Amino acid sequence: MLSKLFKYEIKATGRIFLPLLLALLLFAVINRFTIGPEKFDTPAMISMAIYIIIMVGMFVMTFIMMIQRFHKNLLCDEGYLMHTLPVEPWKHIVSKLFVSMLWMVISGIAALISILIIALKKGDLTKFTEALATFYHQAFELLGASVYLLSFEIIIVLLITLASVILIIYASIAIGHLFNQHKMLASFGAFIALSVFSEIFLKLFNLIPGTAHSSNIHISSVHDLISMQPAIQLMIASGIIFTGLVCAAYFAVTNFIMSKRLNLE
Amino acid sequence: MPWELKSDRPIYTQLIEHIELMIFSGVYPLGSKLPSVRDMAQDAAVNPNTMQRALVKLEEDGLIITHRTSGRSITEDAKMVDMAKTKLAQEQISEFLGKMQLMGFEQTEILTIIDAMVKEMKK
Amino acid sequence: MSTIILECDGLIKKFGSKVAVAGVNLKIERGQIVGLLGPNGSGKSTLLKLANELLTPSSGTILIGGAKPGVETKKIVSYLPEKTYLNDWMRVHQIIEFFSDFYEDFKPEKAYDMLKSLNINPQDRLKTMSKGTKEKVQLILVMSREAELYLLDEPIGGVDPAARDYILKTILSNYNEKATVIISTHLISDIENILDYVVFINQGQVVMTSSVDDIRDEKGKSVDALFREVFKC
Repeated sequence: MLSKLFKYEIKATGRIFLPLLLALLLFAVINRFTIGPEKFDTPAMISMAIYIIIMVGMFVMTFIMMIQRFHKNLLCDEGYLMHTLPVEPWKHIVSKLFVSMLWMVISGIAALISILIIALKKGDLTKFTEALATFYHQAFELLGASVYLLSFEIIIVLLITLASVILIIYASIAIGHLFNQHKMLASFGAFIALSVFSEIFLKLFNLIPGTAHSSNIHISSVHDLISMQPAIQLMIASGIIFTGLVCAAYFAVTNFIMSKRLNLE
Repeated sequence: MPWELKSDRPIYTQLIEHIELMIFSGVYPLGSKLPSVRDMAQDAAVNPNTMQRALVKLEEDGLIITHRTSGRSITEDAKMVDMAKTKLAQEQISEFLGKMQLMGFEQTEILTIIDAMVKEMKK
Repeated sequence: MSTIILECDGLIKKFGSKVAVAGVNLKIERGQIVGLLGPNGSGKSTLLKLANELLTPSSGTILIGGAKPGVETKKIVSYLPEKTYLNDWMRVHQIIEFFSDFYEDFKPEKAYDMLKSLNINPQDRLKTMSKGTKEKVQLILVMSREAELYLLDEPIGGVDPAARDYILKTILSNYNEKATVIISTHLISDIENILDYVVFINQGQVVMTSSVDDIRDEKGKSVDALFREVFKC
């Protein structure tokens, strides 16, 4: 069932994103040929402007879609269709979460690729890959195998932070749904309240030794970086755990409201 | 014959009457097979349970027979049908006569009127 | 399998201080076509939503085929809400694929047949359809499932008389002894003939239950006439 929900969620959102992505890449290609050091004429300016508009629009769209898919599809009239499917509510939340994350990541990657398309000059790519390889070798020499762990952790941190941003918004929307009037206002209020609670929870969490950035960690040289490894690892790991807990809390709130406090008009 | 169902009398009694009429007039010949309950219900645009109730009553009265494997059919007993037909006619007539009496007609008057009308119909 | 498909026991639903369902006790058997009849705001829609887990009871229980509303009951319940709830961007055939995907008992052939009878093109986008046509599509989707309990909230309200007849015919032809259809409506005279049983509901409580024939037998009037009497303003 979860995979079916993914399928339809991607279909519903893809019809908006794929054209945007294609348009972005198309204008990146156009801009590659229209700009040069001498050619700052009007067509170039226009195509660059369009490119920037599309880029911004794409990111704005990922944000708007994330909210709209959750609110419109689950808490408005379409909710009658979705909530009578033989599917547990948590699967609805997960499918929308994952697909929102997917489009955000893809948008990021597409943006990067489009920039490379415009800016990359001949030989740049080789220079870049060479520099990357050098960096990698140096890192490996210094940090050993933990370079893999570190990269992995960084990716996890990024993803789980992204998830927590989406989940706090879902939870706020869900809390807003509980109110009969001024639902949007209630959602904003909930967002602020949840953010405050998270901050307080963070302060409490950081009382646990080793979890926070403390003045004990001085990175003034590469040597420090290596010796501080365990401390850094602990900090990152605890960051992941904290964000994970926060995600779980937002998810639980959203799931509870959708299972037990649903009230479609 | 279209099923005309009135709204103030039980549906199943009206169904019984309609089916009896169809048997008496020969639309459902003696011994012929009846459509399924569902088909008959759909045809009459009524609930199958109601149609079933009507058919069960008709079975009790002997006008319809259920065969174990091949559904329902009209009885082949012509005498039985005649008896039922006559009974219905008697019921209708006594209702009619009752009304006529309420209106104040004497029996001989009623017969005269009927005679004249039947002669008109024959023309 | 038990003969009772829907059972309510002391069912209460409150919204804040407002009581929408005020202690309903009800037992509905399989193989029936039941009318849930009552004035606006009597709790009919709330009752149907409770059966679909779109609302949770404040107290009391509601059981579908002996189980509390949940994933398992949703597999055997086919619900037609009063609203248009389909996503606008899909074409008709896409929503049929959607239903096929999520409901094992959905029969696409039936759906396509009914679409054809009502002259609806499967290639059309839902967005471009009139409200009446969308409602027909929704009804077709609901009736194309081989469910054990059909809950129809005002199925004939917004449609023309010819389509109304078609819908009633479809409900009848779908009938099977395992399944029950509960129709919530105000248009009683139109559907009386196909009902087995009626439940009169007012202000969240069951006022009366009876078979249609008993009403006509004992009270000598149609259900519609009785309704007007019972719910006189």
